[in-house]
Amino acid sequence: MAGAIIENLSGRKLGILIMFLLLCQVVCFLVGALIAPAPSSVLSVLGTKCVDKQYSREKWYYPRGKGRCLHRISDPQDPEVAKQGISANHIIFTFQIPSPKDNQVLDYSRWQQNLIAMMHLDILYKEEEAEFDPNALMTIEARLGYRNKGDPDDRWTEYATSTEERILDCSISPEHRKAEYMYNCSSVPLFELGSLHHDFYLLNIRLPIHTPKEPRDHPTNVYLGALTDMWVAFIHQNGGFTKVWVSLKTVFFPTIVGIMVWFWRRISHLARPPLLLEYMLMVLGAALTLLNCPLEYLTLAFDCPWMTVVSDIRQGLFYASLLSFWLIFTGEHLMDDIERNNVRAYWRHLSAVLGGCLCLFIFDMCERGVQLSNPFYSIWVTEIGTNLALAFIILAGVCAGLYFCFLSYMIWKVFINISKKRQSLPAMSSTRRLHYEGVIYRFKVLMLATLLCAAMTIIGFILGQVSEGQWSWDENIKLEYTSAFFTGVYGMWNVYTFALICLYAPSHKRWPKDQDTQSSTGEEIEFSRLATEPSEMSSITGYVTKAATD
Amino acid sequence: MGRFMSQLSASYTSTRIHCKNIPGLVRRQRVLCRRHPDAMVAVSEGAVQGVRHCQKQFHHARWNCSTIPRDASVFGSHVVGSTRESAFVYAINSAGVVHALTRACSRGAIANCACDLSKQGNHEDRAGQFSWGGCSDNIRYGSAFARKFVDARDRGQRDARALMNLHNNRAGRKGVRKKMRLECKCHGVSGSCTVRTCWQTMAPFGATARWLKTRYDVATEVSVQPDGGGLILPLLRTPRKKDLIYLEPSPNYCLADSTYGFAGTGGRECNATSRGPDGCDQLCCGRGYTTHRRQVTTKCECKFQWCCSVDCNTCTSWKDLHFCNIKSSSPTHMPVSSHSPTFSLLAQSLPHPTASFPTSTKSL
Repeated sequence: MAGAIIENLSGRKLGILIMFLLLCQVVCFLVGALIAPAPSSVLSVLGTKCVDKQYSREKWYYPRGKGRCLHRISDPQDPEVAKQGISANHIIFTFQIPSPKDNQVLDYSRWQQNLIAMMHLDILYKEEEAEFDPNALMTIEARLGYRNKGDPDDRWTEYATSTEERILDCSISPEHRKAEYMYNCSSVPLFELGSLHHDFYLLNIRLPIHTPKEPRDHPTNVYLGALTDMWVAFIHQNGGFTKVWVSLKTVFFPTIVGIMVWFWRRISHLARPPLLLEYMLMVLGAALTLLNCPLEYLTLAFDCPWMTVVSDIRQGLFYASLLSFWLIFTGEHLMDDIERNNVRAYWRHLSAVLGGCLCLFIFDMCERGVQLSNPFYSIWVTEIGTNLALAFIILAGVCAGLYFCFLSYMIWKVFINISKKRQSLPAMSSTRRLHYEGVIYRFKVLMLATLLCAAMTIIGFILGQVSEGQWSWDENIKLEYTSAFFTGVYGMWNVYTFALICLYAPSHKRWPKDQDTQSSTGEEIEFSRLATEPSEMSSITGYVTKAATD
Repeated sequence: MGRFMSQLSASYTSTRIHCKNIPGLVRRQRVLCRRHPDAMVAVSEGAVQGVRHCQKQFHHARWNCSTIPRDASVFGSHVVGSTRESAFVYAINSAGVVHALTRACSRGAIANCACDLSKQGNHEDRAGQFSWGGCSDNIRYGSAFARKFVDARDRGQRDARALMNLHNNRAGRKGVRKKMRLECKCHGVSGSCTVRTCWQTMAPFGATARWLKTRYDVATEVSVQPDGGGLILPLLRTPRKKDLIYLEPSPNYCLADSTYGFAGTGGRECNATSRGPDGCDQLCCGRGYTTHRRQVTTKCECKFQWCCSVDCNTCTSWKDLHFCNIKSSSPTHMPVSSHSPTFSLLAQSLPHPTASFPTSTKSL
């Protein structure tokens, strides 16, 4: 990669460009902070306990509207309930979402994208003996249905049905071991929907009991103790946040496509074939374009449960190409006089990236992929699944470790070479010196920018953990920090890629001379260019000294 | 069987409330009933809850809440006595309604109330910082509606009894609020508590009932102004908002008394060895008791099982059962009781509320 724009740009122009990019970054952050609401909201609903002694799997039970269940109980421990001969098999916990508010019937909007449900049980501490195991295995019969606006109240359509197992995790502190206190049970993931296409949803949950008659028989749900209530927290993405997010994508998408077209036209104007690094920049741009593509618009018209899987893949592709880019960029700036310029030279390093991404992809497909057909599925429930998932994640972790070893080793070698070259720089011919100084400068700028971006991401993440949610410095101005973090980071990597493509594109100031040296290597091109264009030298040396003082 | 109780029982397990069919509602209550049918389901549920827990709290005492005057319910009319017991009944009834309404809000059963989302942002408690989240029980709506509905009967009247009722209703509402708890969940890497989300939730109703019982034990007697238009608060111990107040001393609840609708303690089972309120000495009011040696089948080694069954072994043993005499002059009279002895043993912790309710429907 020779004669990039970054070397040839005058200080003023570069300053303007950097200011512009920083402005874009700040705008992205502020859009998230001031315009977007929090990324997601939670709607907690207490289950209505419907009773049906002739329970049927084909029937829907719901608490509101025409045809709602009329026989309900509020306290299962009430002796009246046992007297009526009601057993656990007759109780259906029903959740009709969204709940009404201020006398208005609410419905889900398609802008809200996805829905995650977490279950939380209220289990009363009993002084007397109760059949309770704090880590009991629950068998959940769950059924999810939907209804749309305009449908009659009782027309629920089945979306998914499943019998799932979940493990309870309850504890109680000693000072709460008395009557009328609850166990502290952790939330249990219930289901995940990749699309929120319909208006109303209905969740029916049964915890049927089966007491073993034969010794080999497995008991189900007999160790749940004094279970009194079931809460389900429904988490959905906020419509306002989706709108801001999609708008950002709509802006970034053509911008990155535009800069890529510009970049490729420059490359194709060159007489030499494109270099590996230039290919890599194109790959990075393409991956980002894929990520930027506002596919979310489709969810407004069609039911796209695969959207979460697709966005996972898109994100994975972008990170894979970014990691590969760093690796190859460092490799190409090694200055050890070995000709690489070929992907095959990096197969060991790249296989670490590929392996890690593949592991995560398989894990994602095992969890999210299966959820396409059964939203209640979770890989973490069974022991085999947990081990499998852990194996893939550990494998991905090993790959990541390997990658960072490779990368750090290469960066270290670059710095060794830089200091070596620095010592011999004064002895070199001026053109050769300028070539090396250019290489060092390019490398240092990228290192600085990358470290800055990575540091900003990490600092932003930590700040988000420390101060959950909102910041306000004024009564009127509220900063939505979590949203700002998401839009800020997203904008940052777009700006980063934009800057890379823009600044590392070949400079066209050397065209006239390049044409007659097409057979030579990049190094020679550099010499010939530099030799014939003394006017450029002042600006380059200016930057070299600047970089050196860094 | 009183009509009011059957009303309650029916409405307890169904969600159909016919405002016209409920006897004893005042005009304001009827308007509210028509306007908020979904809230009315919770109101009746709360009234039943109050009755259940009243009986649980007074299970051993001479007055065992089996004589809740009909008007104790939100659907009844005036109570005959202005005793400490009626103060408790009013309070627990009002508390039960608040509790049930608030829970109904969290279920999304009432169209114009949802979880309390007024609590936002960060906060601090003894365990450190947390942020509000989840579903805080909307006690404000529950309290407000209960006040509107339950107090409707006594509102606007200036007589001492009405003032007493209003005060005790308020104490009941306070009892629920008092028993609000902060419940928290930790989020963070593998159980670490880097982020804590908390919400306000009501304790199970039993906690409120127990608190109200302690208020009953220290209830304050107040007197009526000579013109009957107000209350004279005792100077020594002015009742606070959370205290129960009553106007007249309680009868001893030994003998059946039709004015109080009380069936008397005659025939009730007592504990011969206890010195407490359930001991034969106290419960039988010195009338003596009869001992029967019987073979009783009881449930033993009970284990509570989800959802509603109590899994027990059956134990059969010979036991001495003691029953209070109805009159001191008839030492070996068989107990006259609506319960069969075995029944009262099996369901000792919670007597069937409908079995022991007064049958007179004078005011309905």
